[in-house]
Amino acid sequence: MSDHLEDSLRTALGHAAEHAPRAPGALSAHVAARSRRRRARAQTLLAAAAVVLVAGGAGIAVRGIGDGPVTPATGPFPAPSTGSASGTPSPSGEPVMPDPVEKVWPEAVWKIPAELPGGREFHPQAFIDDRTLLLETSESFEKADAIYSYDLAERRIRKIADISTPKGVFASGYTVGNGLIVWQTIDEADGDESTAPRTTEFWSVPVEGGRPTAIRTDRPLKGGAGKLTVIGDKLAFSLERGGVFTVPLGGGTVEPVPGADRHHILRWPWVGTPGRHPQDGETAFGELFNVETGAVDEAVVRPGERNVKCDVTACVGSKPDGRSAFFRLRDGSRERDIPGESFAGLASDRFRIVHLPVPRGGQYLHDPITGKSGDLGIRADADGSSIAVHAALGDDRLVAYPIEDEYVIIDLSKIGE
Amino acid sequence: MDDDSRFEAFVAERADALLRYGYVLSGNPHDAADLTQEALIRLHRAWPRVRRKHEPESYVRTTMARLHVSTWRLHRRERLVWDPPEGSHLDALPSGVEQELWQALATLPRKQRAVLVLRYYEQLTDEEIAGVLGVSRGTVRSHASLGLNRLRSAVPEPAGPGPAGSAGPSAPNPTATGGRTR
Repeated sequence: MSDHLEDSLRTALGHAAEHAPRAPGALSAHVAARSRRRRARAQTLLAAAAVVLVAGGAGIAVRGIGDGPVTPATGPFPAPSTGSASGTPSPSGEPVMPDPVEKVWPEAVWKIPAELPGGREFHPQAFIDDRTLLLETSESFEKADAIYSYDLAERRIRKIADISTPKGVFASGYTVGNGLIVWQTIDEADGDESTAPRTTEFWSVPVEGGRPTAIRTDRPLKGGAGKLTVIGDKLAFSLERGGVFTVPLGGGTVEPVPGADRHHILRWPWVGTPGRHPQDGETAFGELFNVETGAVDEAVVRPGERNVKCDVTACVGSKPDGRSAFFRLRDGSRERDIPGESFAGLASDRFRIVHLPVPRGGQYLHDPITGKSGDLGIRADADGSSIAVHAALGDDRLVAYPIEDEYVIIDLSKIGE
Repeated sequence: MDDDSRFEAFVAERADALLRYGYVLSGNPHDAADLTQEALIRLHRAWPRVRRKHEPESYVRTTMARLHVSTWRLHRRERLVWDPPEGSHLDALPSGVEQELWQALATLPRKQRAVLVLRYYEQLTDEEIAGVLGVSRGTVRSHASLGLNRLRSAVPEPAGPGPAGSAGPSAPNPTATGGRTR
């Protein structure tokens, strides 16, 4: 069947390939940095899922900030259990299909139309209050053009502000506090941190609506900011490279938070190091520091454990056998086996998104404290593609993902014991 | 070895081969770099899951093929982390027929080119190509046949594999330069 043309084509392609460009030495580091930056912009993930349909492909953010102070190692845990509660897929046993999330936690789940009136798409960003969601719309890929408040009970939408950013500048990191919506814009510069660092600016607008106002800083902020939190009349932020600072919401001097020069905001007043994406196998937020009381807390990690990711009171990680994962308190107590992997860490210091073995693309929300699980309802399409919901970005209490013509909104703070 | 170092090792080991693949898919160094970079970023995001299934190479190659035929290319949004050299590499192709084929490939619609690259560079079966591109096997065949016909008319006298004596005895694995480990 093979003819001369096919042979020539094989040879031509083989020879042509030899003239491809070579990869630069630092490609891997650059790629990883881009990937993390992209992860920090939740809406990116959604758009990526729409563009490339590789099985299980891109992700959607599950985000969050906590609600007020929490003390390490004092979470309201029930007695440790051996194995999983009924209805939960166990790491070793036959998977049991969990009930849908709306059935398991009816008090915490909302379903809203996935398009605004007029057909525009949106991306949920944060809870403004218990029944109001902050939504962002985009003019193009990753490029926010407006924010809205959405009343979940009344299904009413109201524009808060138009957002306009120059080319190469992206809005992200929305947070709510002191009657304001606050966010950052990051100027990506030329995309190469070594030659032209990115710069960050902060903006605010009253929750009731208005024109965004810049929060002027006394000096340009080099580098990208990570998490933002409103603390009284100040904005606290940490830089992606580490370091916690505050600036008055009305603008002014950027002040470093003493003792937190390498730290990342986890949940105010807790800051920690290393951050969410540690290098060299370190424990994410292994070391915590309370900027109000000066208390410190070091998470217990045992030899051979990997991918340990900690939150304010609890950690998850892979056991030394590499085949199973654990959940336990930071002090090492109350350990239990959990299904799935530990890579994604915890949302709201407690919850996890776990992939179902069957059906394909299926994922469920798992609560290691009660052992309950709820099916998110995601399934692979005919191509075997599905979105992957990720935990612990942005608003720690919000899980949001689209299914067909609806958005599922889960308020993790409404899930009780 | 943790996830980051595994990813790093994968990129260090495979990036050049992926660039070669991107180059034959797209036909130019800049798009090759672009496809490779984007696919690796997506691989990094999916790394824990993909690595578990021991398929990072196939994940990234599938992503590249799909990106190439998708509208993603019209909306490129990130700058490259490095500048690949510009310029024509045609002079370096050994035979006239190969040069003509390479030029003719540039005139094919993206899907046709992708199917031919997957079949003759990646050595995939039509069934596998259908899986990679997310189309039916019939579509793969029709793209392949249309593409080959177009090449045939552009390169009227394919005189065998060409005088590439340096390619070795009958070049049993012509894609060896692609460096693919399957």
